[in-house]
Amino acid sequence: MARVSPILREVLAHIFKKPATQKYPEVKPKVPSGFRGKQIFNISLCIGCGLCSRDCPAKAIEMVDVEGKMRPLFHLDRCIFCYQCAESCPRGAIKSSEIFELASASKSNLVVKPKEESVDGGGTVI
Amino acid sequence: MSLDFTLIFRILIFPGFTFILLLTMFCDWVERKIEARMQNRIGPLYTGPAGILQPLADFVKLLTKEDIVPFNVRNFVFKFAPIISLSIFIFSFVFLPIDGANIISGSSFEGDLILVLTLVSIANFLLFLSGWSSMNPYSAIGATRVLTQLTAYDIPLFTLALAPAFLAGSLSISTIASKQHIPFALLIPWTFAFFMIALQAELEKDPFDVPHAETEIVAGYETEYTGRRLAFLKLAKDVQIVLGAAIAVELFLGGPYGPILYGSSAFWCTLWFMLKLLAVVAFTEYLTCIFARLRIDQVLSVNWRLLLPLSLLSLAAAAGVSLWLNPLWR
Amino acid sequence: MRDISVFLKDLSNILGSKILQTRIFRPEKICIQVQAGAHRDAIKFILEQDENAGISAITGIDLGEKIELMYHIRTYGTIITIGTEVPKKNAKIESITDLIPGANFHEREASDLLGVFFEGHPNPKRLILPEDWPGNIFPLRKDAPITNIPSKMEGSGHVEQVSYDGRLINIVMGPQHPALIEPERFSLKVEGEIVRQVEPRIGYVHRGIEKATESRTYLQNIYLVERVCGICNAAHAVCFCQAIEAIMGVNIPSRAKYLRTIILELNRIHSHMLLLGHAFLEVGYETLFHYMWRDREPIMDIMENLTGNRVITSFITIGGVRRDLREEYIPIIKAELAKLKDKIDFYRQIFENDSTIKVRTKGIGVLSKHDALKLCVVGPVARGSGVRIDVRRDEPYAAYNEIEFNVITYDDGDSWARFMVRLDEIVESINIIQYALDHLPSGPYRVRVPRIVPAGEAISRVEAPRGELFYYVKSNGTAYPERVKIRTPTFSNIPSFIHIAEGCNIADVPAIFSSLDPCFSCTDR
Repeated sequence: MARVSPILREVLAHIFKKPATQKYPEVKPKVPSGFRGKQIFNISLCIGCGLCSRDCPAKAIEMVDVEGKMRPLFHLDRCIFCYQCAESCPRGAIKSSEIFELASASKSNLVVKPKEESVDGGGTVI
Repeated sequence: MSLDFTLIFRILIFPGFTFILLLTMFCDWVERKIEARMQNRIGPLYTGPAGILQPLADFVKLLTKEDIVPFNVRNFVFKFAPIISLSIFIFSFVFLPIDGANIISGSSFEGDLILVLTLVSIANFLLFLSGWSSMNPYSAIGATRVLTQLTAYDIPLFTLALAPAFLAGSLSISTIASKQHIPFALLIPWTFAFFMIALQAELEKDPFDVPHAETEIVAGYETEYTGRRLAFLKLAKDVQIVLGAAIAVELFLGGPYGPILYGSSAFWCTLWFMLKLLAVVAFTEYLTCIFARLRIDQVLSVNWRLLLPLSLLSLAAAAGVSLWLNPLWR
Repeated sequence: MRDISVFLKDLSNILGSKILQTRIFRPEKICIQVQAGAHRDAIKFILEQDENAGISAITGIDLGEKIELMYHIRTYGTIITIGTEVPKKNAKIESITDLIPGANFHEREASDLLGVFFEGHPNPKRLILPEDWPGNIFPLRKDAPITNIPSKMEGSGHVEQVSYDGRLINIVMGPQHPALIEPERFSLKVEGEIVRQVEPRIGYVHRGIEKATESRTYLQNIYLVERVCGICNAAHAVCFCQAIEAIMGVNIPSRAKYLRTIILELNRIHSHMLLLGHAFLEVGYETLFHYMWRDREPIMDIMENLTGNRVITSFITIGGVRRDLREEYIPIIKAELAKLKDKIDFYRQIFENDSTIKVRTKGIGVLSKHDALKLCVVGPVARGSGVRIDVRRDEPYAAYNEIEFNVITYDDGDSWARFMVRLDEIVESINIIQYALDHLPSGPYRVRVPRIVPAGEAISRVEAPRGELFYYVKSNGTAYPERVKIRTPTFSNIPSFIHIAEGCNIADVPAIFSSLDPCFSCTDR
C-alpha cells in the first residue's frame, strides 16, 4: 500500500478555510484595467471614415446618419468585444469601459448610440 | 375505547413521523454543508438562515413539477415502489430508541435487530424494483448494479451487526443500546471500522457510488421518475441514510444514552442521539469526499475478498471479547 | 534529417515521369505534384523511408474544373505534401487507408464536403454533414448553392435507443450525455459489461467555419478562427497569423515572439487543468474537481490582466500581438506561477499514491506505440504511448527555438500515463513562462502590415494543448482567402478511441474518453 495520500489531511483542513466562492451579486468582482467591456464612443473625435464598421468581424457596427454625418451605432447583441474597431479607428474615438453586466430583457437596450454628449468620460484605450 | 393521545403524539409528531422527516432534512442540510466546506465551497446559502430550508425547498419544488409516467412501465410497481420503500424505512425507526424509549413503548422484542436489518434489505430491494420497472436501459443497468451491490454488502453488514449482540448478550436493539456503559466502538474498534465501510456501501456513497454514477448512466434507477414520485424516491434515499447512521449509533455508540445533566431525560437523550447521529453522518461524508468511484467489479471484489473474511474474523473476535467481558458485567 | 534533394532524387527515380512539378509552400515546405493514381506509390515510398510517418491532413481545393487533393504527410519532423488532381465531374481516387489507417476520418471528411469518392475505403459513410443533407450539394465547392437548402427531408433521424443485435445490446452514448461536454454520438455495442464495437458519429457542432473564412477578410478571419475552439483559442490565432505572415514574408519582432509564447503556454496550462478537473469528475472524485478548478482561477485572472478577457484572448494579430505586457505586472505573474507549482506537486502526489485513482486509470485503455503510430495520433495521447512528437521541438515557432524545455513522454500507454503527461507539461509550461518573463526582449510588439495579402500558399503548425494543429492557407491576392484548411488535433485522435474502447468495461468508457481530451468544437469546426 503506497504512502497515505495527502488528500486526507487536505480535505479536513478545508473545513476550516474560507470558501473560494465569490458571493456574486452581493460582492462584485474587480475587473482589471484593459478589460474589454461596453464601448465608450467619443463623437467629437469621429471623422466618419467607416473603418470600424468595415473591419468588424461580427458585423455589429452600423453607420447611421446623425445630423448629416455618418456615425457608428454599436449593436451589443452581435458584438464579440474583440475591439478591432478601436484598433482600426484612426482617431482613437472608441474606448472600453469596465461595464460587464450587459444582460437585458430586450434587444433594444443593447445598443450604444452615437449621441452628442460623450458617455462617462474616461475609459481605457485598448 | 378512548384514544391514547400520548401514543398518537409519539407516533405522529415526536419522536415519530414528523420528527424523523425533519431530522432527515436536517441531516441532508448538514451533509451538503460539510461536503461543500470540504470542497472549498459554500453550499446552500439563501433559503432560510444559512440555507437550512434548502432540502425542504427541493422537496416542495419537486412536488410541484409535472408527473410523467412513461408508456411502457409496469404500472403498479413503478408507482408504488418508492412509497412502500419510504414507509418501510420510517417504520424501522419504531424499534430504535430515540428519546430513551421506543416510539411505541413495549414494541421491542428479542430479535428486533434481525427484523430491522431484514426490513432494510426489503426496502433496498424495492428501490431496485423501482429502477427495474422503468423499462429504460439506463435504469436497468442502475437497478442491476444496486441489487448486486446491496446483496453483496448485506452479508458483512449482518455479520458485523451481530458483534454488538454478542457483547450485549441480546438481539434487541434497545437492550444493546442500553447495555453500553462503554460504547462498543471503543471495545471492538475494528468491528466498528468494518461496519462503517459496509455502511458506506449500503448507503451507496463514494467509493461505492456505482449505482447512481451520473457520468455513466445518467441517473441510474431514478432516471424515469419525475415530480411527486421523484420527491418520494429521494426522500426514501435520505431516510435510508439517516436509518443506517441511526443503526450504527444504536449498535456501536451507545444510542441515546449519555450523561444526563438536569431536567427531563427525554430531552437529553434526544440531544445525545442527535449529536452522535450527526457525527456518524459527518464521518460518512468525509469518506465520500476523499475517494474516487470504484467500478462494480472492483466493488464486488472488495466485498468478497476483503470485507467478508474480515467481518467473519471480527465476529469471532467479538465473541471472544464477550466471553471475557460478560462475567465482569454480571 | 534527410537531405531533401536526395529524397527528391530517389523519389523521381521511382516515379519517373509521374511527377508533374514541385513547388514550395512557405515557409520551406515542399509539395510534389504527381499524376492521378501515382499518389499511392509516392506515399508508399515515404513510408519505406520513415516508418514513423503519419498523415497530418488531407486538403481539398476546388480549382474550377478540377479538384486538387493534397496529402500532407508528417515525416522527419516536417511536412511533405503529395498533391494530385481529379476532375470535378468524376471525382474518384484510390483510398490510402490500407497504407495508413489513420487516414480514415480525413478521407471521409473530404468526400463529405467536396464530393470526392475514395475507392476502397472501409466505411464510406457521412462524417460531418447530417444524414438528411441533400446528396448533391458539397459545401466546400465554390459553386455550391448553400444559401437555400430545401427543408429537411423525411429522413432516418430516429435512432433506436436500445436495440438488440444478437447477443449485443446497442447502447447509445448519445448527443446528450452527462459524460460528454459537447455533443457527439457513440454507439456502443456491449455484451454484458464489455464493449465489443464502437461506432462514432461526429458533426453535431459543425458550423462550416472553413467555408465561412472564404467570405471574410483576413483581419476578420483571425477572430473567426479563434472561435473554432474556446479552450485553445490562442493556438488557432497564432497558427493562422503565422501562415499569413509566411505568405507575406514578414518577420515579427522578438518581443512579439516571446509574448506569443507566453500566451500560448498560459493557454496550455489552463486547458490541461480544465481537463484534469473534468477527468477527476469522470472517475467520481468530485473533491479534486473542485480543487483543480479553484486552482485554475489565478491563471484566468492573469489572462484577463494580460489580454482583457478570461477565455477568448483576442491577443494575436497579423504582425505581432495587440497589446504590451506592463513591466509592473511581471512580478505578480511570477508569484502566482510559483504558487501554482506547489499545488501541482500536491496533485502529483495524489496521482501517484491514491489507490482509488490508480485502480480506475492504471492499465485502463492501453494504446500501444505501434497503434499510436499507425493511427497517426498527436499530442499527449501520442506522448503517453511513447511516441515523441512535439511541434515545439520538431519545428520551433514563436520563441521556442530560444527556450529550453523537456518533451514529456511516458511509455505505459494507459489513461494514467496520459494524465501524467499533462500534469508534467503544466510544470514545463510554468518553467517556460518564467524563462520568457526573465528574458523578455525590449522593442516593438507589432509591425504594421499591408492589408492586402499577396498570392501564395503556406502551411503552419502549432502545438495546441491537445496536439498538433495544422493550418493550410491559400491566398489569391484578393481581400478574401481562397482556402483555409484547419485540421484540429482531436480530429486525429478520435479514431484511437474506437480502437481503445473495444474490449473494455462499459464503466471505464467515460474515464478513457476524458483521458483523450476530446474537444468537439475543434473536431467539427
